[in-house]
Amino acid sequence: MRRLAPWLLFSALFLGVGLLAEQSWRRVRLGLPEIGRRQLEPTVGQGVLLGVLGGFRTVVADFTWIRSYVLWEKKTDRAGTELLMRAACALDPRSRFFWENAGLTIANDMGHWEIRRRGGYAKVPKDIQDHVLRGYARRGLDLMDEGVASTGGNAALLASAALVAELQLKDLALSADYYRRSAEARHAPWFAARFAAANLWKEGRRREAYDWYRAHWLKTLRLEEDGAPDDLKELRDMEQELRLPLLARLPLQPWEVAQPGLSTKPGDNVTTKPPVGGQSRK
Amino acid sequence: MNAAFARCLWIARLTFLEAIRQRFFAFLFLLGAVLVLSSGAVRAFDFGHSELKFIADFGFGGLFLFGSILGVVMTAQLFFAEIDNRTALTLLAKPLGRGEFLVGKFLGTWAVLGVFVAVLAALLAVMMGARAAELAELAVERRLPPPECDLLGLAVAALLQWLRLGVVVALVLTVAAAARTFLFAVVVGALAVLAGQLQWLSQELLLKPAEAGLGRAVLWVLTHLLPNLQQFNLGDVLVLAPTQVPAGTLPWVFASGLAYIAAFLACAAFLFRRREI
Repeated sequence: MRRLAPWLLFSALFLGVGLLAEQSWRRVRLGLPEIGRRQLEPTVGQGVLLGVLGGFRTVVADFTWIRSYVLWEKKTDRAGTELLMRAACALDPRSRFFWENAGLTIANDMGHWEIRRRGGYAKVPKDIQDHVLRGYARRGLDLMDEGVASTGGNAALLASAALVAELQLKDLALSADYYRRSAEARHAPWFAARFAAANLWKEGRRREAYDWYRAHWLKTLRLEEDGAPDDLKELRDMEQELRLPLLARLPLQPWEVAQPGLSTKPGDNVTTKPPVGGQSRK
Repeated sequence: MNAAFARCLWIARLTFLEAIRQRFFAFLFLLGAVLVLSSGAVRAFDFGHSELKFIADFGFGGLFLFGSILGVVMTAQLFFAEIDNRTALTLLAKPLGRGEFLVGKFLGTWAVLGVFVAVLAALLAVMMGARAAELAELAVERRLPPPECDLLGLAVAALLQWLRLGVVVALVLTVAAAARTFLFAVVVGALAVLAGQLQWLSQELLLKPAEAGLGRAVLWVLTHLLPNLQQFNLGDVLVLAPTQVPAGTLPWVFASGLAYIAAFLACAAFLFRRREI
């Protein structure tokens, strides 16, 4: 027992220090980007984990991305490309670039690779093609959702997710939801609010589209340096098409009167042309 | 007490002078400096991060990687040089305790690593400060907010790195105190550092709610016996986003690091006392 006593004492000492370190780690981990253990496990043996150990997370993430890009150019190794792209995301989960490009690659490209692998567009029936393309679009969108959570709701990433939902999944409601979240996030792209309203409008939820767009304009867009006149024009068009009574419309802004052609009177026809090259309600 | 401390400092001074003259130290020191200075040139390979984050990560990565190699190899080398050359016998024949000898070795090696960290951190500060100033000018031209770069945070991060290397040195001394050969001490020391770097994985598992069982109990014990070296990895956050560090974190990290050093040194002294030289 006397021989064991020092070892028991040291074990107790290290357990005590370990408890102190646990308290410290609980605080530290809140400030550190979490590494996705599951994403990194398949890359063991490829230098990725060693990079994490050595502290070069950003650098290893960049080189992992370059390796995934080499595979992407070959367009044949779907699993390898996705694995490395996910590893880059896991290594640096706060970087929008990795999440956005990995999600877009999976959603836009990989379905086509899969169809080619199965014999090409002439051989694979159309409904199977659609099923495959939608499956990969969903998969890409899921990855982007992870990215949105990891980056704290990055506005540009949300806008990219909205694009995938609209163009690949043909889901306007989902797309509108992503655009809405993007518009409400920090550093929102200028088009996010308009596209959110436009997609809701095209879905047939016209009144909802107007109400949200109006509330967003009053709360956020109106406070911008130029007062977001293009968005106000769009809102005026909506008011016309919804045939809202004068009192239910947005109050006339002082600067609208000063700019001829901007304000629309209740009886006028719609004056705003659909924006060229952008997304329109029409 | 004062005499014992003076003896420790005397051994530390000898160890420091011996270590600083080593070619191995000069080589890794040069390599680390080149790595930090080249971070500006390599940033062409960067995607999707801010330039400053890339430079900071590159610099802190080099600091830890080369610092760890130095910490493991140099500590074992300096310890076994005394044993193999029999100078330890001469020293310990004088009124010098084995514990004092070990603490002196620790302080000397830690001081050398302090020089290493201070110079590399200063180089990193110059690189980051210069680039941050350039980026701030560009930001003003484009009416964007200037990038955040807290050089005081960099000094704190360098202190944390030094503390981490102190834990590494104390850990390797514990291994060396029980080991018979230099190679064994280096290999086991390096593996222990590796385990310490990965310890957070098991800590994360423990923090997730799960049913209690024998496996979980064993995991709990092992997790608390191994040092968690990832907790010192706050470098780029302290420099680029100091507000993201939760309030009251740093005192806990410093306390935890110092507690590890004290525990490892106590264990090393105990093992060395039982060892035949």
